[in-house]
Amino acid sequence: MATKQKIQNAYIDHILTEGKKPASIFSFAKKNKFAEEEFYKYFGSFDAIEGGVWADFFSTTIKEIQEQEVWLTYAVREKALSFYYSFFELLKKHRSFVDYSMSHFKKGLHTPIPLKESKEIFEQFSIALIQEGLESGEINDRKFISDRYKDALWIQVAFLLNFWIKDYSKDFEKTDEAIEKGVNVTFDLFQRTPIDNLFDYGKFLAQNAGFKMPF
Amino acid sequence: MKEQNSIPASKVARSAKFVGTGFKIGGNYIKHYSKKIFNPELTRDELNEDNATDIYDSLSQLKGSALKVAQMLSMDKNILPKAYVDKFSLSQYNAPPLSGPLIMQTFKKHFGKTPDKIFDKFDLRSNHAASIGQVHRAELNGEKLAVKIQYPGVGNSISSDLKLVKPFAFRLLGMSEKELDIYMKEVEERLVEETDYELEVRNSLKISKACADLPNIVFPTYYKELSGPRIITMSWIEGMHLKEFLQTNPSQELKNKIGQALWDFYNFQQHELRAVHADPHPGNFLITPDGNLGIIDFGCIKELPDDFYYPFFSTTSTDLLNNKEETIKAFRALEMILPKDNEKQIEFYYENYKEMIALFAEPYMSGEFDFSQTGFFDALYGFGEKIAKMPEFKQARGVKHFIYVNRTNFGLYNILSELGAKVKTDTYKPHLKLAF
Repeated sequence: MATKQKIQNAYIDHILTEGKKPASIFSFAKKNKFAEEEFYKYFGSFDAIEGGVWADFFSTTIKEIQEQEVWLTYAVREKALSFYYSFFELLKKHRSFVDYSMSHFKKGLHTPIPLKESKEIFEQFSIALIQEGLESGEINDRKFISDRYKDALWIQVAFLLNFWIKDYSKDFEKTDEAIEKGVNVTFDLFQRTPIDNLFDYGKFLAQNAGFKMPF
Repeated sequence: MKEQNSIPASKVARSAKFVGTGFKIGGNYIKHYSKKIFNPELTRDELNEDNATDIYDSLSQLKGSALKVAQMLSMDKNILPKAYVDKFSLSQYNAPPLSGPLIMQTFKKHFGKTPDKIFDKFDLRSNHAASIGQVHRAELNGEKLAVKIQYPGVGNSISSDLKLVKPFAFRLLGMSEKELDIYMKEVEERLVEETDYELEVRNSLKISKACADLPNIVFPTYYKELSGPRIITMSWIEGMHLKEFLQTNPSQELKNKIGQALWDFYNFQQHELRAVHADPHPGNFLITPDGNLGIIDFGCIKELPDDFYYPFFSTTSTDLLNNKEETIKAFRALEMILPKDNEKQIEFYYENYKEMIALFAEPYMSGEFDFSQTGFFDALYGFGEKIAKMPEFKQARGVKHFIYVNRTNFGLYNILSELGAKVKTDTYKPHLKLAF
């Protein structure tokens, strides 16, 4: 009997040794000695397997960091930092897979198919995080923009993935720096900034435009 | 302490920081001269103070090697006006800490475990900054530990930081770029060494073992198995920094004891080990509750090669200084007198360097020296100011080893003078050579 895990492993093994997808699900099943229908029990396509692997990366990381004792003592900014660090630490063990998978991402503005499921998982995580930040006042609530905060965190994931895959520094030290600096900047922007005060002042002036100067 | 929100990331951002400083300093000058129109009595002290604040703010935001340069500048009190020094001294104590998750990450990378799994207790909030890293308290098996963690990427940013600092160094030291290069290289080498925590642990073990017999000095125990390329674990030494210690109004006797320990520590290394802890800034020392001197940082070790050691330290003896011919040979070996110098120049540099070395060597001349007497330092600063005005000294002279040896010894003198200690100076004497 093939299990979900077995199929996943066999698939990863195949793409990493062959450098390409199996010719068909039929040949893949035959080579690994299980019936083709068993494959469909768990996955609809090869892409779905890849998506599953990615999704596992995300959910494993989130589970892992939330289990750490320090998690509860962290501010929202630190929680986010913690995710990114742990995520790339985990990816280190699967760099070849990530490299392969990313090199087959379709270029464009849309989320690559294998990351669709992951994005949902990550969004759930980031929405909760942002909510927590809004409640504690660590993050500034802005009309219309607040809803897009989660996208900023996702873009950070995408950016860091691309950075990491091209990072050849020892022990990926540069990625660590990129995380520390990038996430801090993102959260600085989430906070109340002088721009907010400027808008506020602008609004005040607009509303009180009827007021005439005495001189 | 407030945590730093962001570190200027790219070289561009770092440069921008410095450019900003430049503008501010320009502004300070304008402020100064416009005030001066109305008040000709105005001294430059306020201006220096303003400039120092701005440079310091800029450097401490850059962290890492730039902060190190700030520390270094603050050691050379003899070349910087007092206001600069006061501000730079701050950099010896405080720099804002990095985020908790990054610390967790660093541990996971080196040990595969988070610090709470390695230690019984680990304080995620940093206790204080160590210029290229920060120190955390921890506990294991009932022992208190200090865990030093290095910022990521420090090694990489050193050369680009130094390039940024260069223009400031020219201005402050009044040197040209070409002359400054060999010195900057030397500084770069030492700084790169300082980022190598594995080397630091080896040095610490070696030197603390060699100095184990010196009285009234304590070293932390280093834990090699809990240290890595970016982490050093050592036992926690309870104690006060120099400034805090002096605020408690210690007795003269105690001050002398600490001063003597410092003197012995440095001169034993210079003259017996020929490798010296070249970072005598007050942040590296602690005075323990039982009145001993704790030494907590071995990042910067300067080795003294024979071809520098003998000519330089032999000139601290009157036996050699009274022999003009041999002294000039020694000065030549040290490149204080250059081959292309003419008769007049040789005479000039000989006289001036002789005066300088005689001043420097004064503590060695008699068996005991009182560092609380200001006369000695006034003479030292006075001489520094005098040569700073001489066009002949605009040009850099002397082999590169001088940087760290001067920094070490003047640093030592400074600390001893702040302590106001009276010290026996004949405990570890220089080894001499009278002919070259």
